[in-house]
Amino acid sequence: MTVSTGSTTEGSSTNVEGREDFRVSWPWEQPGRRLKPGTTSVLRVKNEARSLPWVLPPLFRATQAVVLVDNQSDDGTPEVARQVAREHGFEDLLRVFEYPFDVSRCGPEHLGTRADSVHSLVYFYNWSFAHVETAYSLKWDGDMVLTEDAEGLIHDLSWQLPGKDVIVRVPRHSLYVESDRVAYLDLGLPNVEAYGYPMGPAYTHVKAFEWELRAYPEDVEFVRLPDGASLELKWLDSDEFAHWTAPEAFADNFRTARKRREYELFTALGRGEWADLERQGFAHVHRIESPDGQHVIDHVTREWLPHADRDVFYAHRPGEKEASQT
Amino acid sequence: MSDGRRISFVVGSGRSGTSTMSGTLQALGMHVPQPEVAGNATNPKGFGEPKWAVEFHERLLNRVRVQTGDARPSAWFDTGRPAMREIFRNELYEWLEEQFAAAEAGDEAAGELPTSELVVKDPRLVWFIGMWRGAAIRCRATPSYITMLRPVTEVVGSKQKYYAAGSRPGSQNEISRTAGWVNVMLHTEVATRDSERAFVRYADLLDDWTVPVFELGERLQYDAVLRASAQDLRKVHSFIDPSLRRVHLTWDDLHVPARLREIAQATWSALDRLADKDGDTPELRATLDQLREDYTDYYTEAELLTQSTAASARLEGIVAERDRLAGLGGAGGADATGSRIPHSLRAMVPAGARRAVKQRLEARKTDG
Repeated sequence: MTVSTGSTTEGSSTNVEGREDFRVSWPWEQPGRRLKPGTTSVLRVKNEARSLPWVLPPLFRATQAVVLVDNQSDDGTPEVARQVAREHGFEDLLRVFEYPFDVSRCGPEHLGTRADSVHSLVYFYNWSFAHVETAYSLKWDGDMVLTEDAEGLIHDLSWQLPGKDVIVRVPRHSLYVESDRVAYLDLGLPNVEAYGYPMGPAYTHVKAFEWELRAYPEDVEFVRLPDGASLELKWLDSDEFAHWTAPEAFADNFRTARKRREYELFTALGRGEWADLERQGFAHVHRIESPDGQHVIDHVTREWLPHADRDVFYAHRPGEKEASQT
Repeated sequence: MSDGRRISFVVGSGRSGTSTMSGTLQALGMHVPQPEVAGNATNPKGFGEPKWAVEFHERLLNRVRVQTGDARPSAWFDTGRPAMREIFRNELYEWLEEQFAAAEAGDEAAGELPTSELVVKDPRLVWFIGMWRGAAIRCRATPSYITMLRPVTEVVGSKQKYYAAGSRPGSQNEISRTAGWVNVMLHTEVATRDSERAFVRYADLLDDWTVPVFELGERLQYDAVLRASAQDLRKVHSFIDPSLRRVHLTWDDLHVPARLREIAQATWSALDRLADKDGDTPELRATLDQLREDYTDYYTEAELLTQSTAASARLEGIVAERDRLAGLGGAGGADATGSRIPHSLRAMVPAGARRAVKQRLEARKTDG
C-alpha cells in the first residue's frame, strides 16, 4: 500500500483510514490513459443549494465538464445541481460525487489533521480533482458567480490553455445579499486568487497552515482575468463562516486578514449598519438595488459590474491603476 | 443585454470572401466604421475593413509576435493575453462606443441612414475575439459571427498568387499557409461556438448571394437584411462580382506533406458541413475537436523535429543583437557588450547556448 505524505501525490495514494474505496487515483497513473483537451470545473460543496442556480450555468457554458463533489449537505445541494443542469440543457456535462467524511474546518482543526486522512481538506481536494478527465482544471467555489464578460474569457481559455503550464488568477468581489433586490458589493478589498491549473503530478494539493495549497512548478506562467470577473455570494441571513473552526481563528493572522474583514463586514451589514460603515472604517462598499423583476445577483453580474466605470476597481488602490495600464 | 445594438464580426481566413460579405452587409445598410482600408489590385472592390481595427490588431499581433496566418496552436493563448489587459480592453471599448454613436447618428452626406448594426471585418480579428466580445458587452451590443468558408486549396492558392509577390524573406510558403489555414479555421470554429453564428460558403455567395444572405439574416436577426429595400438589393447586385473567385486549385497544384494534406482536407470537409442547414451538430463539433487535437499533436511533433532550426535562429538573433550593441557601444569589447545585453534577454538562452555564443564571440575577438 502506498501512503501519501501529503507533500506531493506521486503514485496512487490511499488514506490512513485504509478506505480503499476512497483511494485517490490520478488519471496519469492509469496506463494508456490520456487527459482530454478542455477544462473541467471542480466544485467541492456543502449546503450551497441556494447559490447553485447562479453559480453553475456560467460554468456549464464556459467549460467542457463540471465535477461537483458534495460533502454531507442537508439542503438538497446535489439534487439542485442536477436540476439546474437539466433546466439549462447541460445534464451531459455534470458529474456529481458524494464525499461522506467530516472534513476538518479551516484553521486549527485543519492544522491538526494529517494530509493523508480522509478528513483532511488536502485529501478531499485531491480526491475531488482525481475525477477530472481533461488537461486543465478550474477550482471553483459553490458560492462564486462569473460575470458575463468573464464567462467568455474563461470559455476562450478553456481551449487555449490545455497543454500549457499556465495558472489563471481570478479577481473576486464579495457580494453580501440582503434580499432579492438589495445587495452590498465590497470593492474595498483586493482579492485575486489562482483558480485555473493544469492537471498533472506537479499540480496536486498540499497542506498549508490554515487550509490546503495547490503545488505548481517554479517556471509556471500566470494570467489574470480583469477586475470584476466574479462574485462571492454571502447571504446575510445565513451562517457564512460555519466552515471555520471559530471566528477567533482568523482574528490575529496576516494570512487571514481578508477573512477578518469579511467577517466584520458581514456582521455589520447583518446588524443593518450600512449607513454607518464608513465610520467603522469600511470604504468602497456599494449598496446596489436591482430594478423591478430582476434578481440583484443577475443585475450585478450582467449590468452593474460589466458596465461599471473601471475606476471603481482602483478607488482604494490608485497606484495599481497605472500598473495595470502597462 | 442588448438594447437593440448588434455587431456582426466577419471572420475566417483571408481570401475566403470576407470582404465580399462585409461589403454586402454594408450595402444592405449595416455600418462599417470609417475610414476603411482602400481597395487595391488584390481586392479591387475594397476590403470592408475599418482602418483603426486593422492597425489595432497589427499592433497587438506585433506585441505578442503572432502572424495573421500563424500555424502555431499555442499562438491563441498569446493573443488571448491582451484580452485580459484593461488598457487594451478600454481602448477598444471607447472606440467601439464611438462607432455605435456615429452609426446611430447616420451620415446624410454619405447616404447612410441611422442604424444600430455594425459590421467589422479583418482577417486578424479572430485572434482577439474575446476582447471584441467584452467590448460588445460593455456597449450593450449583441455580437454574432459570420465565418466565410472556401476550400483550403483555393485559399492557399489565392494567397500564393496575391501575397507571395511582395513577400519578405521568411514569409509563408504553401506548406505553412496550409498549416496556418488549419490552425485559424479550427480555432475560429471553437472560439465562436455557443455564440450566435452562421457559416457561409464563398462559392454560394458568388453563385446566388440572395440565398445565404437571406438565411443568415433570419438566423442572426439582422435588421439590415430583414428590412432591406429594393434599392439596397440593387446595390448588392452591383457590388458582388462572381468573377472575383479567380483562383481554382486542387491538391494536385500544391506541394503539401501527406499528413498535413490529410488533416487539412478533413478540416475542410467538416467545416463545409457547418454551412448546411442544421449542420452545426454535436457530432460534427466532436469531429472538429478531434481534428484540433490531431493538428496540435502533429504541430508539436514538427516543432520537436525542427528544434535545432529554432535554436539556431535564436542564437543568430542573440549574435545579431550583440553585434548591434557592439556597434552602438564603441570600444567596449565583447565582454562589456555581453554584459549590456539585458538579463531578461540573456536568461531566455539556455546555458549551453550562452556558452556557445560566448565562445563564438571570443573567437571573433581573437580573429579580429
